[in-house]
Amino acid sequence: MEQKFDATPKAELRLRGRTVTRSDVANDWGLQLRWVVKRDGKVIATAPARADAAYEHSDTTPGKYEIELEMFKYVNYAKDPAGEYTQSKFVVISNTVTYTI
Amino acid sequence: MLNIGNEKVRLCEGLTRRSFLTAGTAAAGALTLPTFFRFQEAGAADAKKAKIRNCITLFLVGSPGQLDTWDMKPDAPAEVRGKFKPTKTNVTGIQICEHFPLMARMMDKVVLIRSLHHKTGATHENGQRWMMTGHDFNPDSMKPHIGSVVSRVFGARGDLPANVILPGPIGNTGAGPLHGQTAAHLGSAHEPFFLNADPASRNFKVGDLEVPSGESQSRLDARKRLLEQVDELQKFNEARAVGEHDAAYQRAFRLLTSPEAKRAFNLDEETGKMRDRYGRNTFGQSCLMARRLIEAGVRFVTVNHFDTVFGLSCWDMHADGGGLNNTYYDYERFLCPQFDWAFSALVSDLADRGMLEETVIAVFTEFGRTPRLNGRGGRDHYPAAWTNFFAGANFKGGQVIGATDKIGSRPIDTPIEPPQMLASLYHGMGINLDTTMMPGPGDRPVRLVEAEPIPQLFK
Repeated sequence: MEQKFDATPKAELRLRGRTVTRSDVANDWGLQLRWVVKRDGKVIATAPARADAAYEHSDTTPGKYEIELEMFKYVNYAKDPAGEYTQSKFVVISNTVTYTI
Repeated sequence: MLNIGNEKVRLCEGLTRRSFLTAGTAAAGALTLPTFFRFQEAGAADAKKAKIRNCITLFLVGSPGQLDTWDMKPDAPAEVRGKFKPTKTNVTGIQICEHFPLMARMMDKVVLIRSLHHKTGATHENGQRWMMTGHDFNPDSMKPHIGSVVSRVFGARGDLPANVILPGPIGNTGAGPLHGQTAAHLGSAHEPFFLNADPASRNFKVGDLEVPSGESQSRLDARKRLLEQVDELQKFNEARAVGEHDAAYQRAFRLLTSPEAKRAFNLDEETGKMRDRYGRNTFGQSCLMARRLIEAGVRFVTVNHFDTVFGLSCWDMHADGGGLNNTYYDYERFLCPQFDWAFSALVSDLADRGMLEETVIAVFTEFGRTPRLNGRGGRDHYPAAWTNFFAGANFKGGQVIGATDKIGSRPIDTPIEPPQMLASLYHGMGINLDTTMMPGPGDRPVRLVEAEPIPQLFK
């Protein structure tokens, strides 16, 4: 029996200074949850988001920063020869918060 | 391939025809023996004195590798230590995998047993039978699931069965149909109740608890009365086996008609926040249901994390590029987070409700995985060393029992075998292992398990 993941997870992000705080995840699939940090449109970091509801990215290089919350979405276990999933993937489950340094 | 006795059995890929026929015949024979119920129970158990009143077993089908989860060896060579890093826990000196951050915060409630091992073949089924019955495979004498023993000794509380398995039975794991999740010679009245439905499904209903469409309650009652009359006639000619069948029938009818039973299985009575807390997935919602069932009076609930190892993401990390292609990605993104979320919710929810003091959570697997990564970056079956754990009741959390060598390949301190784990549960539940017997070969009474409880476990 494949694990079933009904419903769509959703969380809300708020920004205070450079610290982003997330709400509880509604319809939480319980899979890997991570912060995704972009600078000037390019992903520069990911960080675990399950254990703590707040996160501050330490990098202070000038630029426009965007932070989102992603959760892994399991579709099936199909993988490429390197063992990486081909159809299951991370999906954005929150709004995006931005700040500029 | 490996040999069980003189039988060739495939690992994971399937089962030889001869093995299947032998095992299937043995199981059928076991259920018809006339002397199943000769228990020697005088003074055998006292539930009132027991510290453990309930047990929830989370059975991780496929089996996580000890080096990637709860017995990490960060100083070992790369091909041994694997990809993950250890993280500190709230108990000084105990580290576990970084992908269990929530469990790490409640390690004071968990007792890790890092020296588990068994000496039989490396099939999933051997491990399942060891960990669910406390016995090695013997087709001439199938042994009951621990929950069925608990059902037989203490009986049911209210209308709910004593022993429930969620969400369904273990299916094909490669080497036969005997997984240790039956009542065996204890009879149909003590068979586990299988939910056989997915509690994470939007349209989830417990099939066995629904009155069939077109059947009114009064008609159902009339049918029950008629069946009872037929059963009375049968009882003139058949005695004990019919009695057991009757008990199973009564149990089924009670489930079908009892509002209490229906309520226990109804997850809609939980808030959305509570359902999120366990994870909106099959395993998480099964764990939530396990808590509801224990709260409603069920004594023993088993949650099978997966029912097979083929063609889906599960703990069986061979990374074979085919039907057993679970890899570190499955562990990192899916399996560890899913387990961490549901397990920590179950522990904290039981604690919040004041139920953790009398409920033990047992996390069991079939075996460990090979200390060295295989050529594809996976790990294969390895029964010589692995880690399982308990939380709750009068088990002393915040400790590690046993240890393995520098590469997690064998126990070097306090070696523990599966029967000792079950002996500890039986003992904790107030079952006297010296006086509670079950039928053995030739109807000779034998102990439930040939082992003693692990003394260090208890407060």
